[in-house]
Amino acid sequence: MSDEKQTGIVFNIQKFSMHDGQGIRTMVFLKGCPLRCPWCSNPESQRHEPERAFNPTRCLTAQVCGRCLEACPNAALRVIEGGIVFDRSRCTRCGLCVSVCPTGAQSVYGQVMSVGDILNQVERDDVFYNRSDGGMTLSGGEPLAQPDFALALLREARRRRIHTTIETCGHCPTALLDRACRHLDALIFDIKSLDSEKHKRLVGVGNELILRNIEHVWTHFPLLPVLIRTPVVPGFNDTNGEILNIRKMLPQRTNVCFEPLTYHRMGQPKYAYLGRDYPLEGIEADEGFMKRLRERLKILDP
Amino acid sequence: MLLATCCLSPQEERVEKKNVNRQGRKRIYEILDRVQFQTPSIDVERARYFTQSMAQTEGELLTLRWAKALKHVAEKITVYITPGQLLAGRAGKPGRYGILYPEIDGDFYEEVISQLPKREKCPFTVSQGDMNIILEEIAPYWKGKTFHEHLNAVMPKEIRGVTYDDELGLRSKFVVSETASYRSALQWVPDYEKVLKRGFIDLQNDAKKRLAALDLTNSLDLWEKKPFLDAMIIVCDAVMIWAKRHADLARETATAEKDPHRKQELLRMAQICDHVPAHPARNFREAVQSQWFVQMFSRLEQKAAAVISNGRMDQYLYPYYAKDLAEGILTRRDAMELLECMWVDMSQFIDLYINPTGNEFSEAYAHWEAVTIGGQTPQGEDATNELSYLFLESKREFPLNYPDLAARIHSRTPKRFLHEIALTIKDGSGFPKLINDEEIVPLYAIKGAPMHEALDYAVSGCTEARMPNRDTYTSGCVYINFAAALEMLMYNGRMRRYGDELVGLETGDPEQFNDWGEFYGAYKAQHMNLLEKAFQQQHIVDCLRPLHFATPFSSVLHNLCMDACKDLQSKKIEGGIDYSYFEFLGYATVVDSLAAIKKLVFEDKRLTMRQVVEAMKADFAGFEPIREMLRNAPCYGNDDSYVDAIGKDIDAISQVAAQKNSKERGVHVDLRYVPVTSHVPFGKVVSATPNGRKAWTALADGTSASHGADKNGPTAVLLSNYHSKNYGMVNRASRLLNIKLSPKCVAGDEGTKKLVNLIRTFCDLKLWHLQFNIVNRRTLEAAQRDPSNYRNLLVRIAGYSAYFCDLSPDLQHDIIERTEHSDF
Ligand code: SF4
Ligand code: SF4
Repeated sequence: MSDEKQTGIVFNIQKFSMHDGQGIRTMVFLKGCPLRCPWCSNPESQRHEPERAFNPTRCLTAQVCGRCLEACPNAALRVIEGGIVFDRSRCTRCGLCVSVCPTGAQSVYGQVMSVGDILNQVERDDVFYNRSDGGMTLSGGEPLAQPDFALALLREARRRRIHTTIETCGHCPTALLDRACRHLDALIFDIKSLDSEKHKRLVGVGNELILRNIEHVWTHFPLLPVLIRTPVVPGFNDTNGEILNIRKMLPQRTNVCFEPLTYHRMGQPKYAYLGRDYPLEGIEADEGFMKRLRERLKILDP
Repeated sequence: MLLATCCLSPQEERVEKKNVNRQGRKRIYEILDRVQFQTPSIDVERARYFTQSMAQTEGELLTLRWAKALKHVAEKITVYITPGQLLAGRAGKPGRYGILYPEIDGDFYEEVISQLPKREKCPFTVSQGDMNIILEEIAPYWKGKTFHEHLNAVMPKEIRGVTYDDELGLRSKFVVSETASYRSALQWVPDYEKVLKRGFIDLQNDAKKRLAALDLTNSLDLWEKKPFLDAMIIVCDAVMIWAKRHADLARETATAEKDPHRKQELLRMAQICDHVPAHPARNFREAVQSQWFVQMFSRLEQKAAAVISNGRMDQYLYPYYAKDLAEGILTRRDAMELLECMWVDMSQFIDLYINPTGNEFSEAYAHWEAVTIGGQTPQGEDATNELSYLFLESKREFPLNYPDLAARIHSRTPKRFLHEIALTIKDGSGFPKLINDEEIVPLYAIKGAPMHEALDYAVSGCTEARMPNRDTYTSGCVYINFAAALEMLMYNGRMRRYGDELVGLETGDPEQFNDWGEFYGAYKAQHMNLLEKAFQQQHIVDCLRPLHFATPFSSVLHNLCMDACKDLQSKKIEGGIDYSYFEFLGYATVVDSLAAIKKLVFEDKRLTMRQVVEAMKADFAGFEPIREMLRNAPCYGNDDSYVDAIGKDIDAISQVAAQKNSKERGVHVDLRYVPVTSHVPFGKVVSATPNGRKAWTALADGTSASHGADKNGPTAVLLSNYHSKNYGMVNRASRLLNIKLSPKCVAGDEGTKKLVNLIRTFCDLKLWHLQFNIVNRRTLEAAQRDPSNYRNLLVRIAGYSAYFCDLSPDLQHDIIERTEHSDF
């Protein structure tokens, strides 16, 4: 199959991204991820298959509207105490409620799209990439969790002369990462902790493969610009020692950068839309700590 | 994707922490603090002396009468020297002031003047003594003589029906609004450079030579050219007399002055005012003073919209700046202080709209004395120089809302210049606005301007461009409410605001349309009907204005006027180019509404036309689901070709009509999208629209998206703009585009770079204009709740920045509801 015809599951395409790679970029979010980070701000990205969501804050209420209730063939939507309650176990994802909902309160995260369709959308901002050296960033989820689709996207972007970046958690077969890197202009790679035990406890897998993979990048793609990012999560890895150690293990090269990310909870409402609990309830970022941390990092990065 | 939380713009920090850095600006802040938030008062002297003279000269050529009147004003009006100021010359009394132009509206002062102190928008105070002068000496003379009375009397009934909402023609209907009767002319840029280089003695000698060369046996020479040239000679005298009186006053003040330093300053001022503007300027100080005299005297001459623009200041002042710097008689700091002296005095002249309609059009003491920086030289090289940077620096360090700053951008604008522009924009007070050479220069050239003049255009007014020796069109132009056309389509030619009155065409019951083609055809009929009326109205305006207005001072500075011996207000001047425009109000409102109906009613059939009309009639009360469906239909501003194509077609049909009308009238009739603040009052006559907009709320402004409709970020907004333009047609003028960004989105050096790239792309796309508000929604909401603590907060409106707290609640709301693009 030609690259353009390949399909995969995408849950968002976002224009005007300023902070995920160089220049003005378009983010393509692929669905599915092998990790389960409790701080994940895109919970809708984690599972591979499309997911139904219900956002009650956008709902006009059953009294005013009620269209979804009428539409649902499986009685998955019911009114309890005036509010709409969504019973996932009955939902077959037929999508009828979504198509009648006037506000977008009923929605599906994730749709099947072809590489050609995606690139046509990405290419619309070409005039901005030209000036800013921007381009496309594949994100997720874990973009490499849909390996053939991700590779086809990268190849097709290359063919159309669009700058390519991926944002990866690094947990994928080394050979796959190797193939991806051949089509990349830059790589954004997450390292969450050097402590494999802790890593496993929190996100579900150890960090060995991830660290092996980044070693592979250092050796085989020494010229590829790489941004290593570490989400600083209170109670998980928010100590100077832990973060600075990650920074110190990176090779001293001008094409390798490091960035700590402040924890935020902007993804929290989406957990509720998906009918899940937010795992990190009650945790706040320590702005003061982040500020001091950045200063210490600056000394390492003259 | 983890992001840091909040971030303030430098302006927000200053306002919240109240820490304005006043260092090195003692003189400027002393003047500013005395006047900054005063309610302006009315000064009657200009009107009084102008009227006295006009009463004496009836029957003579209007230009000559005007020149004599200006001379009388120059001789009689009180002259002032502001304590601490380095520049002399103002058109009225100390403090913030407005002056009267009774030739525009003297006939209805009785009804209006006493209301001025009390009115909600832009109040003015007026003393009892002045009130008496106005009512007894000034107003009676103008009764029956003003332009608007004339226009109101002769306007045919069919056109009147869409124009005025009262017998006197003072209240606009806000459907096809004329804007010619509350100002003497459109925005204008005098040729300052000519005065700096030559001085008025030389200009006067030129007029004298032309006079001597006339053949007085030739009827034309005798009856038209001679009085014109006499007027030119007189008006040169007038401005020189006025300057000389300042020299004398400076000397007198110096005699009484105790402080030896100030005494020296005053004596120097006297010498300068003795020399300019009669003679060429010899140094930077004289050049700035000479420019200031020209600018202020232009104010005495006429009310050119709100606007006597400052032209390409970094160009015509640069030779003096460079020379003085090289000779060591001027420092960068001195130059900045002198310019800021000009800014604070500029900020005290407040454009006064007596006419209630005019006042609605331009809220918060609107003003556009655009200073143009950057761009290209007449030979097409980059024109940026050290002064261009100095203007930006002054704006960052001394962020007063005067002057309005406009940067010309072209494909080779240097990186450093763009970087400093981005830094200035990031400050958050809305400066500078960006104007695109790559759109304007070729467009003006193809419409007949010599290339070197097109390259030398100056930004004038809100977003317009002027060539001071080529432009000759001066009539205020028509504003057309196309959201009203849409409403008429839905209600068979009627508008809910105006009850049973047939305002538009009877295109029938909207339920009768079988498909999109028929429906859109009917919209086009309503659209064309308003357009036709607008063009007719404008032509009447063009024909009548020269009978009421003359501008000898502007004419003596214009090469073509001098060659033709015709006043700039004449209907046609040989060699001139008439760039006139008509204003499209409610672009995104109309486009989104049409797209919603096309999609939901005719294509997807999710709604019936009856449901849409019922929901509109109820202003969506009880029809929330329908409103939501309408709002979620494809919207302009998202780079969605489905809807942008409709926008492009409407733009095209308007231009085709304009092209035909251009041929008929012999002027360029160009489509413009610059509502200033009028999208608020125009919205007040339009009931609910099929894009889900509630009744009587603001229309979409310029070519910006409807409120909150642009969901895909600023690149999509720019692209929708681009894709809805017809680059193959030339009956187009400026398109105003507002983009609101959160400060966080452009934070840090990276953010600056990205803003630079956004500007570069704007230039590549050949969009006409772009301006930014970099402000947090939170700050605007806080300012609404607690105005006293946010008195200094500036926001970008429409080609000008104004204090947020001076805006009406409607307009404040309008600005808050503009989509804020944060980064994703
Ligand atoms: S997707 Fe289908 S089954 Fe699921 S809630 Fe909606 S209508 Fe019911
Ligand atoms: S269709 Fe949408 S808006 Fe209507 S009741 Fe269902 S969820 Fe709410």
